Amino acid sequence: MSYLRQVQAIVWKDLLLEFRTKERLVAMGAFAVLSAVLFNYAVDRTAVRPQDIAAGLIWMTIVFGGLLGVGRTFHLEAQDGAFEGILMSPAPKDAVFLGKTLANFILLYVVSLLVVAVFMLFFGLELGASPAVLALVLCLGVLGFVSLGTLFAAVSSGTRMGETLLPILVFPLLVPMVIFGTGATGRLLASRPVAEVVGDIRMLGAFAVMALAAGALLFRFVVED
Amino acid sequence: MSVSGLRKGGVTLTALGLIGLVVIYWLSFFWVSTEIRQGIVQRIFYVHVPAAWTTGLAFGIAALTSAMYLWLRDERLDRAAVSAAEGGMVFGAIMLTTGPLWGKIAWGTYWTWEPRLTLTLLLWFIFLGYFMVRSATDNPEKGKRFAAVVAIVGALDIPFIHLSVIWFRSLHPAPVVIKPEGPSLPGDMLTLLLASFAVFTVLFFGLFLLRYALETVRVELDARAREVAA
Repeated sequence: MSYLRQVQAIVWKDLLLEFRTKERLVAMGAFAVLSAVLFNYAVDRTAVRPQDIAAGLIWMTIVFGGLLGVGRTFHLEAQDGAFEGILMSPAPKDAVFLGKTLANFILLYVVSLLVVAVFMLFFGLELGASPAVLALVLCLGVLGFVSLGTLFAAVSSGTRMGETLLPILVFPLLVPMVIFGTGATGRLLASRPVAEVVGDIRMLGAFAVMALAAGALLFRFVVED
Repeated sequence: MSVSGLRKGGVTLTALGLIGLVVIYWLSFFWVSTEIRQGIVQRIFYVHVPAAWTTGLAFGIAALTSAMYLWLRDERLDRAAVSAAEGGMVFGAIMLTTGPLWGKIAWGTYWTWEPRLTLTLLLWFIFLGYFMVRSATDNPEKGKRFAAVVAIVGALDIPFIHLSVIWFRSLHPAPVVIKPEGPSLPGDMLTLLLASFAVFTVLFFGLFLLRYALETVRVELDARAREVAA
């Protein structure tokens, strides 16, 4: 099997499992909607205009909801030595990592679009003048997030503390994604010209590439025995 | 080097460092001239800046030895990494406490989201994760690998964190020593600063050697305990 076919097989397997159980998608989706409900009561909307803080709330919902789903990446195969089976297959470890990361990416990207939709619905948020660019910003941010998230989900699920450890490991590393992601999202929601967010998009892209490469390179050291 | 040799070296350097520290404190209180605009609070500079330098040095060594450990799998590299990282946590804590003390008087606030402050705070937390991962694994070999991965990804992420936090207006004083046009610090202040850099570095390496010797003994003790149990 070629490398791409191996990656594709892992992606397909994870998505199929998810499609059958719908566990993580439902959990993350419900989390997003319920967070928006709580935000509605936590933030005094007569004092703060929703569009002023929407970008920050959207990204924090993606981060927290994302951890919920990404943290369980390796629970799917925890039973009956299923993950050992995958590791013993001829697919190289970085193909396994890329497959798992891409499957997580697809799930979380769907959730992130849902988060934006929920905020539009609940808070009467306008999408801004360039929704396609906003979709790109979300795409790059989510890709960087799931790359680090998947790598450290493998680390934390190998420890006694499990998912409790995941935010401690990932949050300090996510600062660039949150800064550039919210910066770009805020300006796009306010219909500022696209030229203003090109820098953020470049940085989000570079961050995603770094995170993906680091994960593909280091994953083998996490899962070796 | 044998454990007793390491310990001897560690004790010597630590003692030298501690004596040097007393001298630095004395000089910074009674010898060096007072900075004209900031007044007496500026004297914390001779603790804060060398602590920051030592933190960077320590975490740099930890990241480098972690990467080399994953590559070469030499136990000594892991011991060096954990010893350096622990030193970095201690000197980082010194930097993160002396900084706000100075900031409260000079800036009027203990904390501000200034790039260098944010970066060092995050660095400190990345290495907190390093130690939590290590202690939360039942298999020590696995813990070493996990911790090394945390240190390496942390090091790779630093340039991004740095660039992103620079977005915020910078309040932090600009460098006064290492810059293209040469140091702008008055003579006696520069002398004392360079001396304090040397003292903190010696102290760090003294503590590093002691910690390294301790880790060596601990690993041997674990191995013997397993032997007895088997």
